[in-house]
Amino acid sequence: MIPLVGLLAGIVLGIVLEPSIPQVLQPYLPIAIVAAMDALFGAFRAYLEGTFTDRVFVVSFISNVLIASAIVYVGDQIGVGSQLATGVVVVLGIRIFTNAAAIRRALFHA
Amino acid sequence: MDLLNQIIRQPVDPDYAIAAAREHQPAQGRWTLGVLAMIIGALFAVAALQTTRTAPALQLERTELINRVHSAEREQDQLRGRVTALTEEIATLRAAALGDDHAAHTLETRINALDPVVGTVPVSGPGVLIVVDDSPSAAADARDRVLDIDLQILANGLWEAGAEAVSINGHRLSNLTPIRSAGDAITVDYRSLTRPYRVEAIGDLRTLQAGFVESSAGAWWNDLAQNRQMRYEISDVKQLDLAADPGMVLRHAGRATS
Repeated sequence: MIPLVGLLAGIVLGIVLEPSIPQVLQPYLPIAIVAAMDALFGAFRAYLEGTFTDRVFVVSFISNVLIASAIVYVGDQIGVGSQLATGVVVVLGIRIFTNAAAIRRALFHA
Repeated sequence: MDLLNQIIRQPVDPDYAIAAAREHQPAQGRWTLGVLAMIIGALFAVAALQTTRTAPALQLERTELINRVHSAEREQDQLRGRVTALTEEIATLRAAALGDDHAAHTLETRINALDPVVGTVPVSGPGVLIVVDDSPSAAADARDRVLDIDLQILANGLWEAGAEAVSINGHRLSNLTPIRSAGDAITVDYRSLTRPYRVEAIGDLRTLQAGFVESSAGAWWNDLAQNRQMRYEISDVKQLDLAADPGMVLRHAGRATS
C-alpha cells in the first residue's frame, strides 16, 4: 500500500512542483525511467513470490538506474550513445516483459 | 543467444532469493520503499512533462526554419527578376553602342542567332513536351523514383535530337544549369522541383520527337517506363514559351576593337 501511495504522491509532486532537470542529465532521464520500471516489476514479482526484501530493492533500483545511465553516458562519449541506449532498452524491455508475464500468471493464474 | 536466454530465464534479481533465504526481515523499512516509489513517480511525471513541453518548441523551430527558407526563396526570385531586367538593359545599351555600320550588323546577327541557343533570351515556338514522374510504387522501392541522372539523360537526349531550347518545370537549361539531387528532391539551377517533371523542348517538330525516341536517351526512358512503370509521356506542342535562364548573366565585357 505504501509504495502505491508513494508512487501516486510522486507523480502529483512532479506535476505540481515541476522540478527542472539539469540539461546535462536530461538525455539519461528516459533510460533511468526504463531502469526504474525494470526494478519495479522485478520487485513486484519477488513480492508475489514471497522473497521481497526492501534492501535488495533499494540497492537494485539505484544500481540499475546508475548503471543504465552510465552505459549511455559512456556511449555518448565514444559516439555510440543511441546504439547503447537501444541495447539497454532491449535488455531491460525483455526483463520487464518476462516479469510482467510472471506477475500476470501469479495474479490471474492465466 | 545465451545472453538473451539468461535474461529471459532469470529476470528477477537473484539477490531477492539469497536475501530471503538468509534472513527474515521484519516490515520495518517500509518508508524507504515509499520514498523510493515517490522518486520513481516524480521521475515519470517530470519526463512526461518535459516531453510534452518540448514538442511545441520543436514545432515552432520547424515552422521558423520553413519560413526562413520561403523568405530566402522570395528574395532569390526578386534578385532573378532584377537580373532579367538588367540583362534587357544591357541588350538595349549594347544595341545603342554597336552603332549602325556593317560590322555592327554582322555582330548583331550573330548575337541574335546565338542568344536563344545560349539561353539568355526567352524563346517561343513549336516543340515537344515530355512529362515524366515516379512510378506508383515509388514509395515501396526507391529505385522506382526518377533520379537526377534520368533527367540529365533526358535533357542531353533532347539536345542531341536537335532541341534549340530546353526547360524543366519552367527552369530554362543552359550550359551553366546543374541538374542534381539534393536530399529527396531533384534540383535544377539550385531550385528544387516538384513532381511531375515537365520537360519542354523547342525544336524542329518534324525531327525532334523521332530523333529523341531513337537516341540512347529515348531507349533509357523506354526501359524505365516499361520495367519500372514510370510515367513517360511525350507529345508535340504547337506553341511553347520558355523563359530566359536568369543564371546566365554578363560576367565579362570589353570594348570591341574593330
